[in-house]
Amino acid sequence: MHSIYARINNFSAFLSSCILTLLGAIALSSFLFTANPQGDLSVLSVKVYPGNSRRQPGLSQEYTFVNFNISADLTPLFHWNTKQLFLYLQAEYTDAKGVRNDVVIWDRIVRRKEEAVINVVGRNKYVFRDISHSFKNVPPANYSLQYNLMPHVGVLTYGEAGRTTEPVPFPPAQDFVSR
Amino acid sequence: MFAEELKTIRRLGIRHVLLQLLNFASVIASGLMIWKGLGLITNSESPIVVVLSGSMEPAFYRGDLLFLTNPANVPYHTGDITVYKVPGGQIPIVHRVLETRGVVRRASSSAKKAAAKGLADEGKEGAVLRTQPEAEVEQLLLTKGDNNHIDDIDLYEGLEWLERRHVVGKVRGFLPYIGYVTIAMNDFPKLKYALLGILGLVALVQRE
Amino acid sequence: MNDFFNELIEGKIDFEGQKLVENITKIALTVICIVSFVLGFGLQSLKVTFGALSLGSLVVFLVVVPQWPAYTRHPVQWLPVKQPTKLS
Repeated sequence: MHSIYARINNFSAFLSSCILTLLGAIALSSFLFTANPQGDLSVLSVKVYPGNSRRQPGLSQEYTFVNFNISADLTPLFHWNTKQLFLYLQAEYTDAKGVRNDVVIWDRIVRRKEEAVINVVGRNKYVFRDISHSFKNVPPANYSLQYNLMPHVGVLTYGEAGRTTEPVPFPPAQDFVSR
Repeated sequence: MFAEELKTIRRLGIRHVLLQLLNFASVIASGLMIWKGLGLITNSESPIVVVLSGSMEPAFYRGDLLFLTNPANVPYHTGDITVYKVPGGQIPIVHRVLETRGVVRRASSSAKKAAAKGLADEGKEGAVLRTQPEAEVEQLLLTKGDNNHIDDIDLYEGLEWLERRHVVGKVRGFLPYIGYVTIAMNDFPKLKYALLGILGLVALVQRE
Repeated sequence: MNDFFNELIEGKIDFEGQKLVENITKIALTVICIVSFVLGFGLQSLKVTFGALSLGSLVVFLVVVPQWPAYTRHPVQWLPVKQPTKLS
């Protein structure tokens, strides 16, 4: 501490340790917030159409279109260490061979508490297809709304905010209705 | 410019220089031990990574630090943020899992044989508490960055699905901004050499 | 003139001053950290925490780093110069 350089050195070293401890304390404080909000999720309709794969020309496969209704109040999840909430709606099914499939069909990023009340009537954002190119032998699927809480500093947490009460079957493929 | 430092070195002798080098080497060695130890605990080849691209904004920006784990035989779920490296790809990519298609086998045939052999060795008493042979997980994954409109197929270098072996780990924890030093050094390589040079000189000349 | 600038840049302070500076840094920074955490947690805002921390550390920096006269109040009392004794 005998010269200005030594004082600046000492000051910044101690400040860095303090900041790291502070960040650790903030990360730990996230564990005090244990909200687990539940919402409603219902599937309005499921339709299956054949189509051509855009990526592999010549390959035709069946695509599923899901219309759904989500309502949930996720405001309890927002605390000082919440940076954003990543919501995603996924379809879960186990096909005849015992292969478990999880497909995310819709997602949304919620960045502020004011936007955390979700009321969405929507359609799947992402292409919903099966690895066998057909939904003929696929048993009914469960749909669930999951969220990923991303903190400003610390551990990422996951949770489920809604689930369909009964599995929703896939209808047989319809012929494509051209406009 | 360094006349005084050179005089000091000459006065203290070659032993002193060697001692300083040894101190330097032990610092580097312990750093390496901690890094590799962390990699063993988390089962990931690179347990701490810096975000390099903006494809996961607004969650992760360039320069953020991510902590990864890669638990063996635990399946990945949709919504997990994974860091993966495709063979032929140059840099690891941090994106979120969009689809998982997989099966958990109870035990492979080789594991079953080993378990049976173990029971035979331990005698016919049979009252041996055995842990279940490790279940094997085979998964195919599809990923997408939050900030991208389409999934990552174009980044897979010809693969249709990502496999478990391509994944370095899944993101568990997050520290903002800290990694910006590595990005600055990547973008300005002269800075990296200058920093290393100064550090080397200071390490040799410091008396403590 | 050169000496004056050199002294200014080096900013030497006496031993009592160094003890004082060390205590101030440690105690003040710890208290500021704790207070910013509590304030931010109470108001549920990270901006408050880091704002308070920046302000607080700036104040501590200005108190500790420059060579204030309070730190040079107890200069070292050197013994008087002794004339070299002649050895016959």
